[in-house]
Amino acid sequence: MNSLKPKNLNTLKPNKGMTLIVKTITRLTVGLILLYGIYIVLHGHLSPGGGFAGGVIIALSFIHLMLAFGKEFALKKLDELKAGILESVGAIMFLGIALLGFLGGFFFFNFLNKGKAFEFFSAGIIPLCNIAICLKVGAGLFMIFLVLITFHSLNQKKIK
Amino acid sequence: MTEYFLCFVLFIIGLYAVLRKRNIIKIIIGLGIMEYAVNLFFILIGYHRYGRAPILAKEQVISNMVDPLPQALVLTAIVIGLAVTALLVAIAIRLYEKYATFDITKIRELKG
Repeated sequence: MNSLKPKNLNTLKPNKGMTLIVKTITRLTVGLILLYGIYIVLHGHLSPGGGFAGGVIIALSFIHLMLAFGKEFALKKLDELKAGILESVGAIMFLGIALLGFLGGFFFFNFLNKGKAFEFFSAGIIPLCNIAICLKVGAGLFMIFLVLITFHSLNQKKIK
Repeated sequence: MTEYFLCFVLFIIGLYAVLRKRNIIKIIIGLGIMEYAVNLFFILIGYHRYGRAPILAKEQVISNMVDPLPQALVLTAIVIGLAVTALLVAIAIRLYEKYATFDITKIRELKG
């Protein structure tokens, strides 16, 4: 197992995050959770799920990482600035897709080729909208969790 | 009819927690229970016996679906509920920093 090599042990210090068992299991599962979220987003126009549900699962994978390894490790993967930029990109992308509909006549007009039903590349702008919502929801939920934690520690320092 | 009554009972449990409990965290949980009772009520209104999920799949004949409109409404309500819960938790954290307690009977100072 790659994850159990001794060179990784410096990130497995007992004082940061949870125990070795939790860290090992997290190492194995967190990628699968992220992939499942991406799958839910990309198949949003074919099956139940979509932008919101997939975005929540993606955010939960990062929160899982943060709970197991501590705040610094997760912030190395996705810090506040990057999450804020991703969130804004999601909102602007959604608005841009909606405004591009004016090319065909009205707001949210489905101007792309719709293709055949129940195929992966179909439904015009709906998969793009799903990706935009996924960025917005995933980054936003991660930011909510982060801010609820960091606000606490910042003000604790201010009081003492 | 029984299921609507049970929804009402669930709502009353949430209302009891909001009105009677003193811990702010328990009040937030009570609000969540009330919210889910209302969501469940909406979903049950749209349901009818042997109804199928309103999802169009490949080579499926559309027949005997449950009403999809309450489900769409509840999906939006869940998103709003998430935002409301996050706001309430943030307020609870700030209150705990200011007064060092979650007990609402001990949070007495109105200003300062």
